Amino acid sequence: MASLRTKSSFLKFYSWLPILILFISVLNEFDFNYLNIKYFSFNFPFILIFFFTLKDFKNFDYFLVFIAGLFNDTVVGLPLGISSLSYILICIAAAYIRNITIRPNPVKDWFYFLFIISLINSFNYSILTLFFSLELNLMNYLINTFFTFLFYIMFVTIFKYYMKVLDD
Amino acid sequence: MVSGRDDFIIAIRSAFLKKSTKQKFSLLTLAFISIFVISLSVLDFKIIRYTKVGINEIVYRSSFIVSIPENFIKNAFFQISDYTTFFNDYQKKKIELAELKSNYVSNEIIEYENIELKELINDYASSSNKLLAKIIVDHDSPFLKSIIINKGSKDNIKIGTNIYDRSYLVGRVIEVNYKTSRVLLLSDLNSNVPVTIAPQNIQAIVTGTGNEYGQIKYIKSGLAEDLMQDSIVYTSGTGAIFKSGIPIGKIQSFDQSVTNEYNVEFYSDFSQLKYVFAEIRNKTEIIKTEKSDEDKSDQVKNPVNAKLEILENELKIIEETNQKFQEENENLKSKVYELNLKFTDMNDQILSQKRIIDQSNVDIDELKFLKLNLDHGHKCRKSFFNSRGFEVGSDEYKNCVLSKGGLDG
Repeated sequence: MASLRTKSSFLKFYSWLPILILFISVLNEFDFNYLNIKYFSFNFPFILIFFFTLKDFKNFDYFLVFIAGLFNDTVVGLPLGISSLSYILICIAAAYIRNITIRPNPVKDWFYFLFIISLINSFNYSILTLFFSLELNLMNYLINTFFTFLFYIMFVTIFKYYMKVLDD
Repeated sequence: MVSGRDDFIIAIRSAFLKKSTKQKFSLLTLAFISIFVISLSVLDFKIIRYTKVGINEIVYRSSFIVSIPENFIKNAFFQISDYTTFFNDYQKKKIELAELKSNYVSNEIIEYENIELKELINDYASSSNKLLAKIIVDHDSPFLKSIIINKGSKDNIKIGTNIYDRSYLVGRVIEVNYKTSRVLLLSDLNSNVPVTIAPQNIQAIVTGTGNEYGQIKYIKSGLAEDLMQDSIVYTSGTGAIFKSGIPIGKIQSFDQSVTNEYNVEFYSDFSQLKYVFAEIRNKTEIIKTEKSDEDKSDQVKNPVNAKLEILENELKIIEETNQKFQEENENLKSKVYELNLKFTDMNDQILSQKRIIDQSNVDIDELKFLKLNLDHGHKCRKSFFNSRGFEVGSDEYKNCVLSKGGLDG
């Protein structure tokens, strides 16, 4: 009985893991910046949100994604709401592609992801420079988009494995 | 894929509005809330500011806790690399310490002189105390270069407070919460610092590049040619955002023939910051007169009056000095008179002594004559046996005695 309860609570924790990782990553800004590799950075939350929205994961609450966006803005020092809007836009894009797709294709998703993050980063850059008069390096955005696109496949493999374990 | 306009609308509607059983809000609602929050953050309402401060406090602390494992790994990595270069660093530090010790004394003198001069110029003494602050969040984001420190409005931190790493400038506070603050680093693209470049004494502005170095900008054309490798860059204090004379870095590795870019290597390594100093500045008036506030403001407003007052004070001082000189002159005159009197006394004394000496000389001649008279008097005295002699007491007799009996005179 006790082991059953332990197993159930572990399963609960395991099913909430994506949201937990999302919060840890926004609070921790999980992008290996301390490696001091010039220009190297990638946006892990974008990959995570896109994948789990695309898969319509049951414990992936959009409201918590919105809150995670607010946390990210606070940590990075961006105006409040920018990251939340970006994350919600990713959710919308992923939900849209999920609805219009009959036969999912990982490569198509991958390139659709590139299109979406490029669009959102451009949108972010425009808002921050036009409305908030912040000076930002466009090159950093481009490289960040590129590496996020590259790492997508790697993380998708890990997430798929995670989902497989959950299904089993 | 689904084709047709209706299917597209259905897909869009489904993506935006459809709530699955687990979702509390539709995506469209959340998107609108996001836009609303962005709009609110543009407007600077008091309630929004306080809400933001509250969120910041919670998130910064949470971020600090969440970052503990990552920071542990990061620190371990840096510690290991520190150990490998420990001996070389030690040798280097030893030489540096010797140099610093020799510079310390002269620096202290300059510092005192500086304070004195500033007091003279500004009429106030600027005292500052540095507050040690711990960095609780330092994510080295590629977009914005900022850190979070564990000191806030509770500790008198204000927007614009200068932040130091030892005595080097690191940045300034751009956001203040109750117990935390955000510091914009000098390396951030949005950071602009008015600087002076020594020894050429060139005024310029250092902007962040988003990397570990800054860049000299807005330098007067022609002056750029005077820049040298290792020229020291320090704050000029222009604009009163940063205190003047704080070292920032040195001009480093530029190729003037290729580009017109002048890089500044910061003295402080922003990626290695653990603790920083926040400078809390207090201004205290040093001249307290009984004049009313109105007079004071008039004085500030009218520099001619202030100048006149200074001149009047100067005149007063000169008059006082003159009076002192006059008094001294009188004293000297009386002393001269006294000395003159003493001089005449002394002269009299000398004359009397001279007279005594002359008398004694005469006595000596007389004595000599008497002595010779005893020996040779009989040769010169006129007598029965000596018809060639002279009468005693005559001059011839005296001459004869003095020439020891020589009768020929």
